[in-house]
Amino acid sequence: MEDYKYLFKVVLVGNAGVGKTCLVRKFTQGIFPPGQSATIGVDFMIKTVKVGNDKIKLQIWDTAGQERFRSITQSYYRSAHAIVLVYDVSCQPSFDCLPEWLGEIESYANRRVLKILVGNKVDKGDEREVPERIGRDFSDVNHFDYFLETSALDATNVDQLFEQVATRLTNDMKITDERVHQYRADATNTSSSSGGPIKLIDRAQTQLNSCCSRQ
Amino acid sequence: MLNILPRIRIPLRCYSAVLTARNENFAKVKQSDIMAFENFLGKDGVQKDDISNHTTDWTGQFKGHGSLVLYPKSTDEVSAILAYCSKNKLAVVPQGGNTGLVGGSIPVHDEIILSMNKISQQFAFDDTMGILKCDAGFILEELDNKLAKHGYMMPFDLGAKGSCQIGGNIATCAGGIRLIRYGSLHAHLLGVTVVLPDEQGSVLHLGSDIRKDNTSLHTPHLFLGSEGQLGVITSVTMTAVPRPKSVQSAMLGVQSFEKCCEVLKLAKSRLCEVLSSFEFLDDAIMECLKTNLGLHPVLNSPTPFSILVETSGSNEDHDMEKMSAFLDELLSKKLIVDGVLAGSSADAAKMWKLRESAPLAVTRDGYVYKHDVSLPLNSYYELTNVMKERCGDLAKRVVTYGHLGDGNTHLNITSSKQNENLEKLYVSILIPILLLIFRMYPFLYEWVVAHGGSISAEHGIGQLKLPYSNLGKESEERLLTKKLKNIFDPNGILNPYKMI
Repeated sequence: MEDYKYLFKVVLVGNAGVGKTCLVRKFTQGIFPPGQSATIGVDFMIKTVKVGNDKIKLQIWDTAGQERFRSITQSYYRSAHAIVLVYDVSCQPSFDCLPEWLGEIESYANRRVLKILVGNKVDKGDEREVPERIGRDFSDVNHFDYFLETSALDATNVDQLFEQVATRLTNDMKITDERVHQYRADATNTSSSSGGPIKLIDRAQTQLNSCCSRQ
Repeated sequence: MLNILPRIRIPLRCYSAVLTARNENFAKVKQSDIMAFENFLGKDGVQKDDISNHTTDWTGQFKGHGSLVLYPKSTDEVSAILAYCSKNKLAVVPQGGNTGLVGGSIPVHDEIILSMNKISQQFAFDDTMGILKCDAGFILEELDNKLAKHGYMMPFDLGAKGSCQIGGNIATCAGGIRLIRYGSLHAHLLGVTVVLPDEQGSVLHLGSDIRKDNTSLHTPHLFLGSEGQLGVITSVTMTAVPRPKSVQSAMLGVQSFEKCCEVLKLAKSRLCEVLSSFEFLDDAIMECLKTNLGLHPVLNSPTPFSILVETSGSNEDHDMEKMSAFLDELLSKKLIVDGVLAGSSADAAKMWKLRESAPLAVTRDGYVYKHDVSLPLNSYYELTNVMKERCGDLAKRVVTYGHLGDGNTHLNITSSKQNENLEKLYVSILIPILLLIFRMYPFLYEWVVAHGGSISAEHGIGQLKLPYSNLGKESEERLLTKKLKNIFDPNGILNPYKMI
């Protein structure tokens, strides 16, 4: 087995042409592919990063944006630890679609998924149509965990984006781990029914009881 | 001038047929025979005109001279026809959907065509045991749609599914893209009803309608892949498989053929019970798909080899988990340089379109020499390299695609069809084609056998490979098949000039 502490699935979504593939390629391979054609399906890449002393493996799922909504199988959302929603700062329509993407994420993704909003193509300078403040406001209002602007072309904030993803997920995971340890320790101390087979009839009874008690 | 070429081409490509003289022991069809057939079958069961779609195959490479097509509607009618033909020494070629690639269902000379198109009445399916019993003339896709209503599917899938018939599939032991998962048709066939070409037109019900029956020689299996040499299949009993609820597809980019084999090994162990296809395409066929059909690869970075992996299972989340762990391992071990998963059924269709359009893409080059051989994997792609070097400039392209998981390669060699003037025709086209043909054959088939392969993985022998049918088979086996044929078909009237 490889030695990494955590494995996280990161899914990129957003309209076609906002530069999702370029961001991922720049990060995983350090290249900006010129004349990027529309992605079909879900591009799959991995990269190992360091958070403190821990090696963290990111599985990055780069989805095709061209069909916009409902083109992606729901289980991609379900299994994601982080969702990066990307728009193009030089393309107002890609920003205008964000609420629809958000609706998609809320319908299918895990409730506690890390949500990150990214305004890409800041290298386009004069052609900018969405000011940074507007992006940041949208991110705040809609409870994104993090917002930043990037450029896959000149590498602005590309590494930072994925480092943030890795760091935040790792920190969350460590807190969960501690809770689990604590819980296990408690469970051992009270030495309840640990080990032994699970009796289906007992479980059904417990469920029945808890259902009744709710009424 | 364009009309001349096909006429020149046909003898070149089917010289087996041309070299085989008509067997004068066979009678010629007389008016009295036609009247007799009309008597058993009614006037609408006998067709004399407009039969070119029965005497030619869909690729246009085989053409026979038969003048009569018969359309029986039942096993009894088939029996009456074969008894009559056997008594009167009339040669017969059984024909299903006519989708074969080796000319097995096309008359070579003037054989009577026995079309199974109208034998498609009986259909029964047991949705607890998953056992299908139906007439031989049902079209594969039609059966698959019927089974879908019960949550089942046919255990094999072919490009020709919209036309090919189940009887023909059994008679040719059809392969296809799901063999890696469900095994060959031998794993599914339970029974057949066959009519023998003897003077009684004997009807035999072989095997049974239950899953387990070890009481006799496994006679139905003699007819599996028999290419219409022993008898005419009129009904089939076989198992169907539960239709998967989740199908995942992924396209992988690989740098070397050795790594493709490593990927296969890992797919078998990591995707294990859900792996349903493992298809292979090299960069030459990708280029051909782009140039000839405008179909672009789905991977962003071009690689020498692409692999299409499919899983079929019962739970999307579980299958996705297995697939992502598999892809992760491939990337971590650097076995692939790129990977794309289908995010929707539309994506999957795009990926499969590349693989399924490959046979069409090569035909756009002009002339195509298709091959269907199987090899141990250490020689699988070496064949392509050997043929590339051997054909050199005579070939326009040497492309490879196929069922890597089954060791089955479809190596295709193409040459251009140029519109030159008539005087240049022989110099510019015919001579290079002849040179190419002599470069390819019999070298290719001998090479395959010398490297432990089979000269026909799934398409069969038919007319096309008859001259090479002794390659890789001991003479004792050839003799045994002749003896068997003689038992079933004492007058040798069924599908002559082919296979055996």
